[in-house]
Amino acid sequence: MKPLSIREIHEGRHILVAGGSGFLGKVWLAMVLQRIPDIGRLYVLMRGKGRDPRVRFEKMLTESYVFKTLHDALGESASEYISRRVEIIEGDVSAPDLALDPAIAQRLRGKLDLVVNFAGLVDFNPDIREAVSANIDGALYVADFVESCANARLVHVSTCYVAGHRDGLIEETLLDESPNGQPMVAKDELANARRIIGETAAENDSAEVEAKLHGEVIARIQSRGQDPTQKRVAGMVGRLKRKRLRGMMSKAGTDRALELGWPNTYTYTKALAESLLAERTELVHAVFRPAIVESAREYPFGGWNEGFNTSGPLVYIAQTWFHHVPAMPGNPLDVIPVDDVCKGLLVVGAALLENQHKPIYQCGTSDLNLFPIDRLVELSALGNRRYLRKHGANALERLVMSRWDTTAADPEHMLNLGNIRALLKQLARYLRHGRPDKLPSEVLEASDSLADASDTANRKLRQIEDVLDLFQPFIHDHYLVLRCRAIQSHTVVEPEFRFAPEELDWRRYWIDTHMPGLRRWCFPQFENTEREIFAPQFPFKLISTPEPAATDQPREDVG
Amino acid sequence: MGDTQMQTAAFFRAEGVLYKQGVVHAAAWMASQRAGFRERAFRFGQAALAAPLFSVLGQNDRSFGNRVVHLAYRGMTEDRVNLLGEEYADDVLKDKLLDRGLELVKQARKEGRRVVVISEGVSEIVEPLMKHVRGIDEVVCNRLEYRDNKATGKLLDPLVGGHEGGRWLEQYASEHNIDLARSIAYAGHGPDLLLLSGVGKPCVVNPDFTLRKAAKEADWPVMDYTA
Repeated sequence: MKPLSIREIHEGRHILVAGGSGFLGKVWLAMVLQRIPDIGRLYVLMRGKGRDPRVRFEKMLTESYVFKTLHDALGESASEYISRRVEIIEGDVSAPDLALDPAIAQRLRGKLDLVVNFAGLVDFNPDIREAVSANIDGALYVADFVESCANARLVHVSTCYVAGHRDGLIEETLLDESPNGQPMVAKDELANARRIIGETAAENDSAEVEAKLHGEVIARIQSRGQDPTQKRVAGMVGRLKRKRLRGMMSKAGTDRALELGWPNTYTYTKALAESLLAERTELVHAVFRPAIVESAREYPFGGWNEGFNTSGPLVYIAQTWFHHVPAMPGNPLDVIPVDDVCKGLLVVGAALLENQHKPIYQCGTSDLNLFPIDRLVELSALGNRRYLRKHGANALERLVMSRWDTTAADPEHMLNLGNIRALLKQLARYLRHGRPDKLPSEVLEASDSLADASDTANRKLRQIEDVLDLFQPFIHDHYLVLRCRAIQSHTVVEPEFRFAPEELDWRRYWIDTHMPGLRRWCFPQFENTEREIFAPQFPFKLISTPEPAATDQPREDVG
Repeated sequence: MGDTQMQTAAFFRAEGVLYKQGVVHAAAWMASQRAGFRERAFRFGQAALAAPLFSVLGQNDRSFGNRVVHLAYRGMTEDRVNLLGEEYADDVLKDKLLDRGLELVKQARKEGRRVVVISEGVSEIVEPLMKHVRGIDEVVCNRLEYRDNKATGKLLDPLVGGHEGGRWLEQYASEHNIDLARSIAYAGHGPDLLLLSGVGKPCVVNPDFTLRKAAKEADWPVMDYTA
């Protein structure tokens, strides 16, 4: 195969990006704008969400630190530079024809070379209706649109964890059966998912449920000594029904996923989407499966991260008194820096444009540079030790908690999260209702604040427990190694685009890059404290520009 | 190769010349920072018990003492040894660096000598510490053996701190084209006798009983400093 020059291949190419406002999408967008200045046009598909999508995009470009490096390089010319390369398109992947204005759709059909679909619902156990709409219908509508284009190809971003509850080496191939070994026809399974949605909705709408809720609402209003007017009862019943339906839909999705061997609705729906896309014979596409996407190694800068749903909770608990993480020593947790993922994506895009692509690319580290969970836990403990010794809020944190090591342990360990939470609950209950009344006021005040602190700790541990439950299949129950060789089968000309996770020094990355990144960008979100907002010297403003042919544009180096 | 192309060197025995603390303290500190209280207590006790053995036998040959002391690292992960080694170097040893020793390094550089630091401490501690000392060309120290990312408690050969110091010196000099007759060595322990007698300008620093006696007999200069 011919070596791929990422810059040359992307020169003058027109790309539609769906889901570009997510963590991965934003880093990819910034990297393309900065490192491929001769790109044709990037059409960024955005929902309005009640506002002009152009305003949303401007806010994103101005306030997110991911674009800081780009702003720093471009200075005053950032608005003009970006506006010449980006066009915001209002649309929605979960609607036919992406809810595009017909004239715009027609224009794009003749122009697009590549579509990169990052869009999806990444909540693990959402309402199954939303998961099917975003992860399956969305993928199929994007595929429909790509097929209707004159010359476009599709990179569909999925996840490595479509593998579900499997053990061993996961190859870069399409899974033709469910993880628990049942033969599965994707089309039939999608119909089954829709049937489950229909049945769940019908059950919630049944007369029995209506009558039960009606009775409960009247009893509740009367217990407060108030008058159950018909309007009030109807309003409350409606709200309860909607809440009940969401819970039922979430449970229905999770139950079906678990029945087939997937750990959650997210991976179940993503797997179905992959299979359904594979049935499209006219569609030129590649499936891109990243593993657990984490802090950037070097682009936009070391440590950049967003959100709190992957390794964050594991690192967070290493700085608490809880120190038994349910994990099987030796099992890999397949973490990969976001900028490595973006490089991988650019390689896959280039391979597609050059017709050298493979059907499926996995993008992780367990195959090339194994990072076992017990190593991750120990590094997190050591990183927190380093941090707390210098920045601990008090002597207890600096001297004791910093040396309170976290270890990988059996989920049934006596000091597991469930037991700690039960203990905290009992403590709070005793301090509020069981303590002697005749105590000095200082002691009563101290016990009240301790009870509050126990409740707060309990709430945080509950969130962490939920996340650990989701990860337990991968970090304890199953030994999963993801084969990641397809990206490296392409030789890349430019060193800055080479996908090389084997060069990652886990110790330095975890301690010096990832953990400080989590502390700065993710923990504030978890602790509901103020997150940092970027304020460039020259705020970004979209400027209306014509669509010049890429080759007519003067080359600008913004590296 | 002619004499004109040969360089001169200054060999510094780190312990006692550049800083005060020895390997027993380092091993005991590392043992007390292990994961789990049981392991901490057991390995700390092991390092503490090795201390008298080290001081008694260490007057002549520290090989055995070194091997016993470093058993305290057994079972520690490479990550833990490296990160705690950096912490020990930065937070403990850095403050124990001896100003007079650092001046000797500076002076050696000024004289155009290749500066070589020899330490019986492990690389995970000595190398980060030496980043705080300007003008060092090479650090020669002990290396822990690791298997499956865990220290076995064994030191890899060649072991620093034993009688092999003299033989090592000759080999090092021939590999780096060093004129030993014009080179200097600073050391303070009995087992360093062969290292000191291998160079033309030996200097005894803060010596133990054995080396002080030997220095007197050989009429070597002796320096005593504590800061």
